[in-house]
Amino acid sequence: MTQAEQTKSQVAVSVPPHVRGRRTTRGIMLDVVIALVPSAVAALVFFQLYALMLLLVCVASAVAAEFVCYFISKGGFAHKCSRAGEVVKNWARQFDCTSVVTGLILALILPAYTKWYEALLGAVFSIVLVKMLFGGTGKNLVNPAAAGRVFLFISFSLSAGALLTDGVLTTGATYLSGTLLSSGSLSGSASYAEPVPTLLQLFLGNGVATAAIGETCKLAILVGYLYLVIRKVIKWWQPLLLIALSGFVSVCLAATGGTFDITLFPDYCLSGGLVFGAVFMATDYVTSPKGVWGQLVYNIALAVLTAVLRYFTHIEVMSFIILLMNLLTPLIDTYIVRKPFGYKRERKAKEAVK
Amino acid sequence: MKAIKGKRLFAGIHPAGRKISSGKPLEQLPPPEEVCISLSQSLGRPAVPVVEKGAVVKRGELIARADGAVSSNVFASIAGEVTDIRTMQAQGGEETFIVIKASGSGEEFRYPPLSDPSPQEIIERVKECGIVGLGGAGFPTAVKLTPPCPVDTLILNGAECEPYLTCDHRLMLEFTDEIVRGARYLKQALDAKRIIIGIEDNKPDAIAAFEPYPDIAVVRLKKQYPMGGEKQLVYSATGRKIRPGKLPADAGVVVQNVATSFAVTEAVEQGKPLYERAVTITGGAVNTPKNVWTPVGTPLQALVDFCGGEKAAPSKIVQGGPMTGIALPSYDFYTHKTTSGLLLMSAEEVSLSEPTPCISCGKCADACPMKLMPMQTDFYAEAGDYEAAAKQGGALNCIECGVCAYVCPARRPLIQSIRKTKQEMRKRK
Repeated sequence: MTQAEQTKSQVAVSVPPHVRGRRTTRGIMLDVVIALVPSAVAALVFFQLYALMLLLVCVASAVAAEFVCYFISKGGFAHKCSRAGEVVKNWARQFDCTSVVTGLILALILPAYTKWYEALLGAVFSIVLVKMLFGGTGKNLVNPAAAGRVFLFISFSLSAGALLTDGVLTTGATYLSGTLLSSGSLSGSASYAEPVPTLLQLFLGNGVATAAIGETCKLAILVGYLYLVIRKVIKWWQPLLLIALSGFVSVCLAATGGTFDITLFPDYCLSGGLVFGAVFMATDYVTSPKGVWGQLVYNIALAVLTAVLRYFTHIEVMSFIILLMNLLTPLIDTYIVRKPFGYKRERKAKEAVK
Repeated sequence: MKAIKGKRLFAGIHPAGRKISSGKPLEQLPPPEEVCISLSQSLGRPAVPVVEKGAVVKRGELIARADGAVSSNVFASIAGEVTDIRTMQAQGGEETFIVIKASGSGEEFRYPPLSDPSPQEIIERVKECGIVGLGGAGFPTAVKLTPPCPVDTLILNGAECEPYLTCDHRLMLEFTDEIVRGARYLKQALDAKRIIIGIEDNKPDAIAAFEPYPDIAVVRLKKQYPMGGEKQLVYSATGRKIRPGKLPADAGVVVQNVATSFAVTEAVEQGKPLYERAVTITGGAVNTPKNVWTPVGTPLQALVDFCGGEKAAPSKIVQGGPMTGIALPSYDFYTHKTTSGLLLMSAEEVSLSEPTPCISCGKCADACPMKLMPMQTDFYAEAGDYEAAAKQGGALNCIECGVCAYVCPARRPLIQSIRKTKQEMRKRK
């Protein structure tokens, strides 16, 4: 029986409930898009046309790639394209904005010097290979944007940070607290000096080289975070736990080489792609655990792994860790089973009887 | 006693109340021309007819006898002649009906009233009068009055947490004293120590009505769906948790609906068997929403006509509340003892969107008042792996309140998956 099985008299018969909440998948995805707007604006401010190009290319190619996949899989080309119009109409009806979110996030986690064809390749890879081939929305195993980022990172070595000063794009080390990378300059421009940025600089993003255009301004991410929390799209504690725990573990790891310095804590928290990843990527519904306890385990594991790998590799590893934890998510969901209301462990119950 | 605040549920939803008929006093439906009374008025086996075709019956006369402990006696709801005993399609599948054509004689049958009854007499009378839980489950009340372990608390369920429905609210306002007396009989039968009545805080007039009684503890429940669920109500009113698969009696509690309590008073004091009940007819597509005393077996068409007919063509006809009720394809059905409402929902009120893929947002699990994982059940049930659906999603503990499907942004048919899982698992046992 389908949801809206109609009878002759136009009275619908379906399983209860007969009233529903107002939330839809498209609405949630639109909320995420709105939450990403501040970061996109910040990227446009810091990287101007470079950012504009990346945003346009990524979003457009992601949506286009999804459309092509849908068109082919629903038989748009069959019967000499006679059903093409109908397929396009269906696509528009079911379009849930998930590809817009993927394209936006991917653009925001790419460095400013990414070529247009690299961005396009990344977006197509994300949508076609990571999402649509696994069955589309809700069926992907890993976060499409993170996978696209890693794909580009490995294929084109996009690890260096970028900084736009007076219209000139310079590349340099991504500032990861305490570990400044030496990096060759790309496209002949001189690498900039490597002063340690102040906390305010880290927070606002001015004058700091980052390996991703959207990760620069923490203020913009914070605005997006608050919006998502107020709209109840994400749980408030997840990003906070991830960022704080990761920062703390980083401080502890740094202490193994010398003194324990808690003042480095905000520095660790704000540097690199940690904040952006924690707010927009680790909270991705499809690829993170479904239960609260699973989410706790997931975020703790993410935090610890990020801190540890940052310490040993000195590069921005957030996307890699997210991919790794995405793959562990089904395992977490299988083994951390929620106990129903009123459940007591057998042993405890026996004690209670005594 | 002065009302105290109930515990908040850890999860639940706040659907729009839409109690548009709450100001309408209960009215008596004029006796219908013909009633079709189902023999399946409660859980358990259908009752066995004790009348033949052609028999002349009085209103309130026994027409079918309970078959087994969880079955209930069935009574003629109008005076007239039995014209047929036939099997028809009913709300929940095929059922056998006794058809009575009104004679207009208005003759009534009553059991002798009981004065100062003993617990045993009360239980016997409740059983004799075919009283079942009128909240919707239809579990015979007499069975609930003989719990397997001692009970110290009787909880009256006046939450009426379903949107739209108002018949219990009206009953609490207009028959406060009868409900209290019924509760005292029930308490006596159970040998319980105290009576608690739980009422949601969107009915302050009903709360105020019960406060003057010194032996009734009134609990003001937070307006939260499904506050009227048995386990949720017990938790909110007493703080006790009922373990999975156990009865409220295991926590020392018995829950009865206020309408059931009212029926007990009538049965004990007037000897009136359960052949009519309060029904709310409401929704955006009905002309004048009303609360109506309705004989069991009344054709739904008669109820709609009594309420001035359709205002607009309804998009959905629902028997019961909008969260758990059954959608009907037409008015060709008859009320049962458990029918609490008839909703004619207009196009703006119902949601008819098609399901889209699950995005694992977890909103169903966050809202679940039983702490289950409906998305897991849906996922595995769709794949046909019902064992995993039951284990991973906890479907067997589901109370089918509909909260998960209400919040689902992907409009998944979660209740359908859960029911299918329960069915399949029952088959395997």
